[in-house]
Amino acid sequence: MRLNKIILSFVSALVILFSTSVASFAKVVGDKIILGAAISLTGKYSSNGVHTQNGYNMAVDRINSMGGVKVGGKTYKFDIIYYDDESNPKRAAQLAERLISQDGVEFMLGPYSSGLTKAIAPVTEKYGVPMVEANGASRSLFTKGYKYLFAVLAPANLYLDVAIDLAVEKNNGKGVTVAMAFEQDAFSQDVRLGVLDAIKRTGSKKVIDDKLPKELNDMAATLVKVKQMKPDVLVVSGHTKGALTAIRQISEMKVDVPMLAMTHCDAAKLSKQHGKNSQYALCASQWHKTLTYKDDFFKDGMTYDADFTKEFGYAPPYQAAESSAALLVFKDAFERANSFDQKKVRDALAATNMQTFYGNIKFAPGGQNVDKPMVLFQVMCDDAGKCENKVVAPTKWASAKLIHPIPSWSKR
Amino acid sequence: MKNNLILYIGILILGIAAPFIFPAFKVQLSILCVLIVLATTWNIQGGEMGYNSFGNILFYGLGMYLCASVQVGMFFPLAEWTESGGEKTFVHTPAQFFQGMAVGLIVAAVVPTIVAGLIGYSILGLRGHYFAICTLGLGVAAGEISGGIEIIGAGQGFTTPPFPDVGSLDSRGEFFYFLSFFVLVLTFVTVRSIYTTRFKLILNAIRDNEDKAEAMGIETMKYKIIGWMISAFFCGLAGGIMGGLVGYIDSTDVAFDGREMGVFMVLMAILGGKGTLWGPIIGATVFHIFKEGFWTFFLGWQYVALGVLIVVIVIYFPEGIMGWLREKYPERFGEVVDEKDRKAQVELK
Repeated sequence: MRLNKIILSFVSALVILFSTSVASFAKVVGDKIILGAAISLTGKYSSNGVHTQNGYNMAVDRINSMGGVKVGGKTYKFDIIYYDDESNPKRAAQLAERLISQDGVEFMLGPYSSGLTKAIAPVTEKYGVPMVEANGASRSLFTKGYKYLFAVLAPANLYLDVAIDLAVEKNNGKGVTVAMAFEQDAFSQDVRLGVLDAIKRTGSKKVIDDKLPKELNDMAATLVKVKQMKPDVLVVSGHTKGALTAIRQISEMKVDVPMLAMTHCDAAKLSKQHGKNSQYALCASQWHKTLTYKDDFFKDGMTYDADFTKEFGYAPPYQAAESSAALLVFKDAFERANSFDQKKVRDALAATNMQTFYGNIKFAPGGQNVDKPMVLFQVMCDDAGKCENKVVAPTKWASAKLIHPIPSWSKR
Repeated sequence: MKNNLILYIGILILGIAAPFIFPAFKVQLSILCVLIVLATTWNIQGGEMGYNSFGNILFYGLGMYLCASVQVGMFFPLAEWTESGGEKTFVHTPAQFFQGMAVGLIVAAVVPTIVAGLIGYSILGLRGHYFAICTLGLGVAAGEISGGIEIIGAGQGFTTPPFPDVGSLDSRGEFFYFLSFFVLVLTFVTVRSIYTTRFKLILNAIRDNEDKAEAMGIETMKYKIIGWMISAFFCGLAGGIMGGLVGYIDSTDVAFDGREMGVFMVLMAILGGKGTLWGPIIGATVFHIFKEGFWTFFLGWQYVALGVLIVVIVIYFPEGIMGWLREKYPERFGEVVDEKDRKAQVELK
């Protein structure tokens, strides 16, 4: 008898489960345009996942409070369904499938990281769901012939090749020796390819080429080699953890290197967490608050920085800024398409040519943004120990002069 | 026997009808099939033979990479496909896609089987915890090594060929569902027929007392290797399908995913009841449903909820669901119970 009860309750629980998850949200309900997003709320990308989510939320609130999206003479508001992809590509692909086929989402926002975007893109492509993504920079995303993928950011191979150029310039045009340490993931490996191209182009030489594990919390072996080989440039990339680990161990081991180039310094809040230890680090960034781009919603970088800090309690890294920009792109495309037809919205997206506080946005046929250069900033500290990120390249945006070479630890 | 036949036909019909009854859940159903295959084949070692293997994920990942590589390599240069900066775009025609998939799956099944034979020959001499730890290392090592091989994408990952434009939007889901369901049926039929032979008894003998089994003249090593090779065959197939289903292979997060899949297959077999035919199947189904439920309703807390589930399983169902049922309803399992004797025992307690 008891068993029957157990089975009965089990079956009814199942029925409830299925029926509630089938309850479809659909793409446009009433006055809401519902976008879907799988975000890394847990796992190794969780900190950047949260930056992405905050960026999305910030833009949704702003656009909604400033009149929403006007399509066909009616005003609509944005809403986002989030799932947690656990920083796992397998999960991300499943969730994309679920958002589209179960939740009925017809427009998607991208996840965080190139790897996860690579996992989701085949799904959105198959269903013809336009996806504007802000955090998948790997070049291989844009060579697969995807028609429904649009990235507001510059591809990963452009992140650090500028740093090599800078080093060569400082070396009077002669080639330099480069030590490289990259995490084994889609994004970092693509940054590596960009650096390799730059090395070839400038006649430089790579002296160390290490791969770092995914759960990155130790790179001492590489740094010991750096101490012995004394390269002109050390390049490190491994998302937030990579940046934190590098700075921590470089300062602990007192590794002297004339130029240290990295990614994800602002997402890792380096200047806050490591203060003076992070000084002189050169970082690639998609965006910086001092850039002079403008739009109607966030005005400019400085205003965005202030508003974001007020709302979330920390300064926005570029991951948040580009995520906010993705919503602006969607709004613009919906209004130009003046329809919710996926093909029409896709075509409108492809024809995007606009300026946002984050930068100019114009998509190449592959889907990457070709109208926005990368910037390099350097962490600079004053005597009181207060550190700030200042743009040093390209010269058009530079607000400070590059400090080169980095003074040795004994003189700091 | 007649009852069983009705049961099997019923399940077969349900399996074939499932994607049409729950059209939105095709992907989850396909994954369920893959999970059942993994749990059922893990049970050959962990349940019947008493060798707790964490290494089956090796064959799964191997199958995944092999299937995708063959599928691409048959028609296009593999290195250019996986190269990140590659300027060319390759598109499979439907015929190429399905031919590639078919050949890929065969390779994905055969090669891991051979690998299992070779590795098994060298490490199946280890027993108990030593074997478990050794196999744990296999999966981790494979993940790290494959993450460094350029031709399969290394750290960049490997995008598997996208499903070609045939039929409707649903055809991709249907194709992968029926493929995985077919492999599930194949696995079940094979495992079930093995379990009716002397082979199963030998595996059980190894589990219960390997030394005694050897003393009785059984070449235990041979049977252990064969058992592992059978598992590897189906794990490879499952991996090949999963690669196509996910669409993107990452060395440690998708292929050699010991932290998730590798642990899940053990957990599912234990939840359902190891050492039984139906245990892993029930375990995988219950586990998958709970997992999907947690992921929907406890967003952010899903792993906590999963952890609680595992604790509950270990405390209340140490023998798994089948074990629990067997204890409650021994008659159903063909065990004759002497009521008087049972009552006497209960009173004694």
